[in-house]
Amino acid sequence: MARDRNSGEDYIGPIRRLLVGLMVFVMVAIFLVWRIDSPRVERFRSAVIDRVVPSFDWAMAPVTGTVNLISDFQSYQRLAEQNRDLRRELQQMKAWKEAALQLEQENAKLRDLNNVRLDPEFTYVTGVVLADSGSPFRQSVLLNIGARDGIIDGWPAMDGIGLVGRISGVGQQTSRVILLTDTSSRIPILIQPSGQRAFLIGDNTLNPPLEFLENPDVVRPGDRVVTLGDGGVFPADLQVGEVALGSDRRLRVRLSADYGRLEFLRVLRSQLREVITDPGSLIAPVVPPVVAPPAAQEDTAPGASDG
Amino acid sequence: MADSAAAQRWIGQAGFAALILSLMFFRLLPLDTLPPRWAAPDLILCVTLVWTVRRSDLVPVWVVALLFLLTDLMFGRPPGLWTALVLILTEMLRARAADLRSASFLVEWMTIAGGVTLATLADRAVLGVVITPQAPLGLTLLQMVATILTYPAVVAVAKIVFGVSHPAPGEVNARGQKI
Repeated sequence: MARDRNSGEDYIGPIRRLLVGLMVFVMVAIFLVWRIDSPRVERFRSAVIDRVVPSFDWAMAPVTGTVNLISDFQSYQRLAEQNRDLRRELQQMKAWKEAALQLEQENAKLRDLNNVRLDPEFTYVTGVVLADSGSPFRQSVLLNIGARDGIIDGWPAMDGIGLVGRISGVGQQTSRVILLTDTSSRIPILIQPSGQRAFLIGDNTLNPPLEFLENPDVVRPGDRVVTLGDGGVFPADLQVGEVALGSDRRLRVRLSADYGRLEFLRVLRSQLREVITDPGSLIAPVVPPVVAPPAAQEDTAPGASDG
Repeated sequence: MADSAAAQRWIGQAGFAALILSLMFFRLLPLDTLPPRWAAPDLILCVTLVWTVRRSDLVPVWVVALLFLLTDLMFGRPPGLWTALVLILTEMLRARAADLRSASFLVEWMTIAGGVTLATLADRAVLGVVITPQAPLGLTLLQMVATILTYPAVVAVAKIVFGVSHPAPGEVNARGQKI
């Protein structure tokens, strides 16, 4: 009974099967091209996202707002309790603010004494989070700033307090931030009082573990974790979080950034490092220009002027 | 009359595409940026399978290919692989749709469970062969099980809200062929 259906359209069957086979082949080809030449396909991906997501934007903001409102409503019920907690915290904060002000003044004085010059080119662009990755396996968010705002791959993104992730994939109007919790995120970090260097390796949990730690014995839970500027990949001294001991006895990092509420992210313009390429003229003796023949004189001219 | 049947088919196809796109939209909303402890079911896959088994004439193969390629791109998956697997899965279900119509729901559910499991394992196997970084295994399996468990609920919603169920015996499409 169910079989006789096919007898009438046997002339369609083979063509259809061929087309479906072709489609599957094309998809597998796309996958293989992605595996072989990932940057090109990833650029295509960010171009597609760049077209699609901003056109959803008019709907995304109100829907997100409504859902957040509903979830906030539950917290309104505990308003009095929250208010009391906040007041107490505010009292503590006032004490800290006083301490911070004093330290700031002291710092400014010491800087002045030492003639320290801070990097003046440390500026940022703030973007709004448009969308998240849409998959439980990927931890990333999409910002509404992109190449037209001068965003470049690799720049760090922070919320008000700590590092959140880094730019990976820039479209014309959007850019993707791979969060520190993503499984493909690896950030070089420095652990503050002990000066240990390590990598922060995302593993899809809220507290990413530390790896490649030279001497775990000198690291204590509670130590400050900041970014490491080695290799010129990342600007140094951005706050990441503090060390904590995980339930699996591994050293993990409690991130400072509030991952529950990522709404606005600031992307730091990290300037390219100046690279010193010429060998100093101190080690090799400089040939005096008067003695050298004219051809050699031109070679050594810049070095000679330094010395 | 043929015109109105064709129009109905078009509306059905557009409705399916719109449903998938809206599911995609809701998954992209930045509601929760914390890493999850459990994985929500893959509703997009679930809806596609329900529609394929029940009304395969509303799920043209090129629409499946385009929509899943788009989700691959949007959700940061390796593009193409999951699309190819879903294409194969839906084609296999399409070929068995007539048999599943007369079978009991349990058989249909078991067929779906087998299909989803195979597709997930094949996905991981291929990614493993080409040495691509993968999502945690536990989370993937959790999502797979959740997707299989949601299937009856999606079937119920499809029937009650969207009126999508197995075509009655003898129902014909726009060209007068049996569906």
